[in-house]
Amino acid sequence: MSGLPLEASDGGGRYPGFSSLAQAGHWDQATAAVVQSRLGPPPDVRFFTPAEEAAARALLDMLLNQQEEPKVPVLNMVDARLAAEETDGWHYADMPQDGAAWRASLAALDDEARSLADCPFALLDKEQQGRLLQGICDLRQEPWHGLPADRVWSLWTRYACTAFYSHPLAWDEIGFAGPAYPRGYKNLGVDKLEPFEVRDVRADADPTHGADR
Amino acid sequence: MSSLRERNPSAWLLPTGPGSNTGLREKMRRYADADEVDIVIVGCGAGGATLLQRLARAGWRAVALDAGPFWEPEQDWVSDEAGSHHLYWTEPRVISGADPVPLGSNNSGRGVGGSMVHYAGYTPRFHPSDFRTLSTDGVGADWPLTYEELRPLYEEIEAELPVAGEHWPWGDPHRYPHRPHPVSGNGELFLRGAQACGITAKVGPVAIANGRFGNRPHCIYRGFCLQGCKVNAKASPLITHIPDALAQGAEVRPDSMVTRIGVDEHTGMATGVEYLREGVQRFQRARMVAVAGYSIETPRLLLNSTSQRFPDGLCNDFDQVGRYLMVQGAPQTAGRFQAEVRMWKAPPPEVSTEDFYETNPEKPYKRGFSIQCVSPLPITWAEHVAAQGHWGATLRRYMSDYPHWACLGALCEFLPLEGNRVTLADETDHNGIPVASFSYSQCENDRHLMSAAQQVMEQILTAAGAEEVITIKRYAHLVGGARMAATAQTGVVDRNCRTFAVPNLLVTDGSVLPTQGSANPALTIMAVAARAARSLVKGARNGVPTSTKGA
Repeated sequence: MSGLPLEASDGGGRYPGFSSLAQAGHWDQATAAVVQSRLGPPPDVRFFTPAEEAAARALLDMLLNQQEEPKVPVLNMVDARLAAEETDGWHYADMPQDGAAWRASLAALDDEARSLADCPFALLDKEQQGRLLQGICDLRQEPWHGLPADRVWSLWTRYACTAFYSHPLAWDEIGFAGPAYPRGYKNLGVDKLEPFEVRDVRADADPTHGADR
Repeated sequence: MSSLRERNPSAWLLPTGPGSNTGLREKMRRYADADEVDIVIVGCGAGGATLLQRLARAGWRAVALDAGPFWEPEQDWVSDEAGSHHLYWTEPRVISGADPVPLGSNNSGRGVGGSMVHYAGYTPRFHPSDFRTLSTDGVGADWPLTYEELRPLYEEIEAELPVAGEHWPWGDPHRYPHRPHPVSGNGELFLRGAQACGITAKVGPVAIANGRFGNRPHCIYRGFCLQGCKVNAKASPLITHIPDALAQGAEVRPDSMVTRIGVDEHTGMATGVEYLREGVQRFQRARMVAVAGYSIETPRLLLNSTSQRFPDGLCNDFDQVGRYLMVQGAPQTAGRFQAEVRMWKAPPPEVSTEDFYETNPEKPYKRGFSIQCVSPLPITWAEHVAAQGHWGATLRRYMSDYPHWACLGALCEFLPLEGNRVTLADETDHNGIPVASFSYSQCENDRHLMSAAQQVMEQILTAAGAEEVITIKRYAHLVGGARMAATAQTGVVDRNCRTFAVPNLLVTDGSVLPTQGSANPALTIMAVAARAARSLVKGARNGVPTSTKGA
């Protein structure tokens, strides 16, 4: 599998040649099994209905800026968690449990898209999708379709980030080498790298510079 | 004090290198439900496991039940963030209030070892002032116990974990049994920034052996402390107290969810515990019961244990069960550096300052906060970035900058408030047992502390050279919910962790703490449980004590 597509202006290519998977020979068996299970064919969709799947896929692609293949199969990973009820257990008194909250919020996304453009969220163009999502993000604690907007937003981003940043290809673009047992680290300290780590070639690429918000 | 190895040889009972002592587990003594054991303990974390080891060593026939598994670290734990979800208590719960507190991850535990399996490893002591905040500062509560009474237990536990750190100048100044660990980029920047600001920062106190300890190997600085230490370097009861408890004849019964405490309607005494194992409902008889399920599950179990004598829940005659539950405000501030910090390398606990721990009369708030290194792994770091409102391309761009960030976390002493409590929800879990509902609202003092702590962290990072700082507001730790008090009207247990209402029922976990200071609670929970064990052993097994006061 090659790297994830990411423009240099979006932080792509900062750690040239770096591959966390190239270190897999140094991982313990239990860990390797867990990480490598993310690399095979993604699990079939079991939780989302087709309409929910379409909305969730478009939503997750936007939240993580995954517009081209190859992609981390975030939709399938989120679906698998919800199907297995692999949640943190708690829910806000003014929100349903995670699975129901996903269904309700995806239906609300489609409702809102229909009122805007008479089509489901997945069929809006990217710009419209982006504007709609930014609008929800900006609502903060205000209600959105009967749910607190910030709690819906946090539900979406938590599941999205947990899936995406558990994937070795996502680690490669952030310079993180992944599992570190039993080898550990021996070069601790500012600007000290292990032989297998790759230095950032654009250290001045501070994300605040040129940020769009 | 007898030699460490004589009083707790756990570290020598483990195999050399990683793994656990399978022989000890196979040969473990097993009691029948019908055996009336001397004590049954509910929960096998910091409080429960410490109590178990102490009582087993004193010859008690003791059984500890835990709802989760008896971990085998080599097979069950992984050096991976998302793959460690099973270390958390993820049974359903409802959260509410003006400032609801998410549960189920960093503030929960599951299985033998409890939340210390995945805690960072910071083990500071409380300060002497923590035990009398009401009389000294006019806020919080006074303990029915002094720091001086707990000090010998702190020393015992620090030796058993063991704790590594520099000489500690705050609170009751003291030394640690192990020398401080080397620091990573994150710790280095904290020390540099603090020095530039005139703030004292020290390396430690961390419950990770520095060098070999018994058969436990040296830390390999891999940075996955929060995913369970596969190395056996970071202390958790699974390796610090359970091995000796088993060697002394105690039983640990995993995968056993206690649903109710039995009480004799005539005598009002506890008779044992009802529990579910492999789908079968069972009852373990016992002469004494200790509950150590932590601040949410302990109150839930008491409230669910109703009877004619206790229609509103066990030990709840004065509506005290579940109240005064505390979390620490734990804002996390990160700073962006031109250099590569790679904060995920090395254990997340490294450096701390307690310069702001005590009440400062010049400030508009009481009590204070501590600041420590935290080193979020990618998923947790993505939450920090996303909390700024970043998503899509901006999120990916920020994340690609991960090696350049250093991160500090504060622990703010939120005050114990009557209305912050656990009650029972209408919802039930898959066993049909009502789940806990946890309501939390901050007071003005709490909010002051959060913003003061954030300012100091920003100041330290900026002084170290940070170009940009970003903060996420979060919470850490739970204590209270069945607090220790001088009277039955103001708390659930006495100074020896014995419930006021039922003489042979104890609570020996973090829920008994009346205040929380700005310290991570693990060490204090263990010390309080060890002290309770000491008073039980002194009282011998000759029946019900005549007084609930005094040691």
